[in-house]
Amino acid sequence: MTATLERGLNALREQIDAPVASFFTSCVSCGLCAEACLFYKETGDPQYTPIHKLELMQRLWSNEYTLLGRAKSMLGLGKKITDEDLTEWETLVYDSCTMCGRCTMVCPVGNDITMMIRKMREGMSASGHGPVDLVGAAERHTDGTSPMGDLTKALHARVKQASAETGLEIELDKPGVDYMLILSSHEIASGEEMIAAVARIMHKAGVTWTISTEGFEATNVGIQLGNRDVARNLVSRVVDAAEKLGVKGVISPECGHAFQAIRWEGPNLIGREYPFEVVHIIELLDKLRAEGKLKTKGKDHDRITFHDPCQINRRGGINKEPRNLLNMVSDNFIETEDAGTMNWCCSGGGGVGANTRANDLQAKAFNIKKRQIEAVAPEKIVTMCAFCHTTLENQLEARNMDDIEVLGLTEMMAEYLDDED
Amino acid sequence: MADKPLLPDLMKAHGISRRGFLKYCATLTSAMALPPMLAPKVAHALETTARPSVIWLSFQECTGCTEAITRSHAPTIEDLIFNVISLDYHHTLQAASGDAAEHAREQAMKDNWGNYLVVVDGSIPIGNPGYSTIAGISNLDMLKETAEGAAAIVAVGTCAAYGGIPHADPNPTGAVSVSDIITDKPIINVPGCPPIPIVMTSVLAQFLTFGLESIEVDKLGRPKAFFGETIHDRCYRRPFYDKGLFAEGFDDEGAREGWCLYKLGCKGPTTRSVCATVKWNNGTSFPIQAGHGCLGCTEPDFWDNGGFYKPLSVPAGEYRKLGLAAVAGGAALGVAGGAVGRANKARAARAHETVDAHDLEKKT
Repeated sequence: MTATLERGLNALREQIDAPVASFFTSCVSCGLCAEACLFYKETGDPQYTPIHKLELMQRLWSNEYTLLGRAKSMLGLGKKITDEDLTEWETLVYDSCTMCGRCTMVCPVGNDITMMIRKMREGMSASGHGPVDLVGAAERHTDGTSPMGDLTKALHARVKQASAETGLEIELDKPGVDYMLILSSHEIASGEEMIAAVARIMHKAGVTWTISTEGFEATNVGIQLGNRDVARNLVSRVVDAAEKLGVKGVISPECGHAFQAIRWEGPNLIGREYPFEVVHIIELLDKLRAEGKLKTKGKDHDRITFHDPCQINRRGGINKEPRNLLNMVSDNFIETEDAGTMNWCCSGGGGVGANTRANDLQAKAFNIKKRQIEAVAPEKIVTMCAFCHTTLENQLEARNMDDIEVLGLTEMMAEYLDDED
Repeated sequence: MADKPLLPDLMKAHGISRRGFLKYCATLTSAMALPPMLAPKVAHALETTARPSVIWLSFQECTGCTEAITRSHAPTIEDLIFNVISLDYHHTLQAASGDAAEHAREQAMKDNWGNYLVVVDGSIPIGNPGYSTIAGISNLDMLKETAEGAAAIVAVGTCAAYGGIPHADPNPTGAVSVSDIITDKPIINVPGCPPIPIVMTSVLAQFLTFGLESIEVDKLGRPKAFFGETIHDRCYRRPFYDKGLFAEGFDDEGAREGWCLYKLGCKGPTTRSVCATVKWNNGTSFPIQAGHGCLGCTEPDFWDNGGFYKPLSVPAGEYRKLGLAAVAGGAALGVAGGAVGRANKARAARAHETVDAHDLEKKT
């Protein structure tokens, strides 16, 4: 079977449900979503108006799901969707949308535009219009254990390093523990810090945990590509591993779309509820703080600001938790403008950062974040998403602003952990 | 008509000075919104015109219009009007009764055929002509018969002009206006419940002075001089409306401060009349000045335009059933549309072929 226009259109048809119909019906073409989009905001190009990126899906809905449209189609009047249309829209749907969700927030009639982009990508990917880099990542992850290929050996090495560094035993594939930690491939590839940080905090809090060698990769390129068959295959690996080990919960790591995949889309993809709970690592740390199981010592005096990852804050609901934690360890914490649920994206989300074709556009789109960072002139930027972390580092470096240090919040909490008994 | 006395003689007989007469002419001129220099022309016309015969017909009415015109406040106006014209028939005001009264009407018609003026107040029942009769003659027959030889008809009051209160839902008598019946004579509508007295007399005076053609009417047949602007346009409370200051109740601070009565249902913005400028009772006051919103009595169907205390922005009429029907119809359409949509989606789901990561690329 191969990717065809008909397969793509069929995938789009499957995506049109009552919310989509009501959203398209309610759109008043006000254009407020344009101002909310970092790509429109930084380029001024009207083709980046979020609702415009959905035009093909809107056309399909109109032609096949509305009375007038059906009548027109019967008379041969409806404008059909061609493969050329899909080619034209491919860059709009993938290169100029980080699925950050700001457009959804500002829509005066409450249309979830971001959710519709996710649905539109189903049709794009099924028709063979997924960006080549994301398709490559999907193939590698499907054949191996991560979008970087097989990282099982690397995982073993990192766990060994972390164990040596912390002096704590970290047991892989241990059944019956409280939590199973999953990691983003970045966190495995870049070093053992994340694993070591979690080991120290969990040990201190008295929480048992493990990592499964059968399902340790948290990222899910199927979500970014917008293909639920691929996404289901990848998320099932984590669900199966967690069920096999009989853990009470799965910890989603510092990764934005990974949280979307396991926390929100997963149960819908596999069609049932999980027998375990899913928590984001920062959610768990804040819970431990509230229970008095996470204590810190000392404070960072540097001027620190926080970058909210879109998928974890705006689209994930985790807003107060990182601030509770940051205030434990910093006495010079300053918010940027629009911080919190209306933050601006780092420009790398939604597969844009992994899509080399979009590099130039992404660099432009980052400028709004850059100005906001400059306005508060921080010495450090803390975040809770490994991909935001990498994007911020790369974009700042490209602008000779790499004197600003970028940190992950979990590692920072581990650094100030009160280790004394 | 040559044997009829002219106005100066009548004035002398009534002890009215020439100065008093000229003052009256000036008042009429301004009431008709004519330039002041036309006042002498008014005086001249009134001085030299023989009194035309006027037949006043009262049908389904409350005598309020007659009560009002007898209180016309310009100097000695009722005297003048009733002497400038020859009111040959008016069953409330005339002394004669029975056959003698009807005889006066027949005589006036015969003597002045083609030249007399008919003033009508009250609506005409056509549901059953027996609902309202005078001397055994139904209103409908009397109007048709009298109108036939008339030069023009003035429909005084909202009942005669638009059917008024008798015409209000459910209209048990089948009441209609003069213009619903008479279509071959000029008709001037002077609506109001009642009309402002000086407006009635001014229209009559203008008719006598400058003739019928001089009276410019709007699409509802009202003289533009008196019904050209809305009460709202000239209301002394208008500045409060513009500032958004509204009385919300009849005893709240806004009411005491004299704020706009829009929210209490004032129909001033859609009602054309000179109430706010000419006022009533010798220029003393008008309803809004007395603290109550305008009822909109110079407009057709004012009785059925929603409640008197409902703001204009609230829709008038019974929309409950229509609304329910619309909701039911919409729901049925929605369900049908939804079923079609679901069938589409289900068909697409059946056609779904599971995608493997390796067939995401287009193979040509």
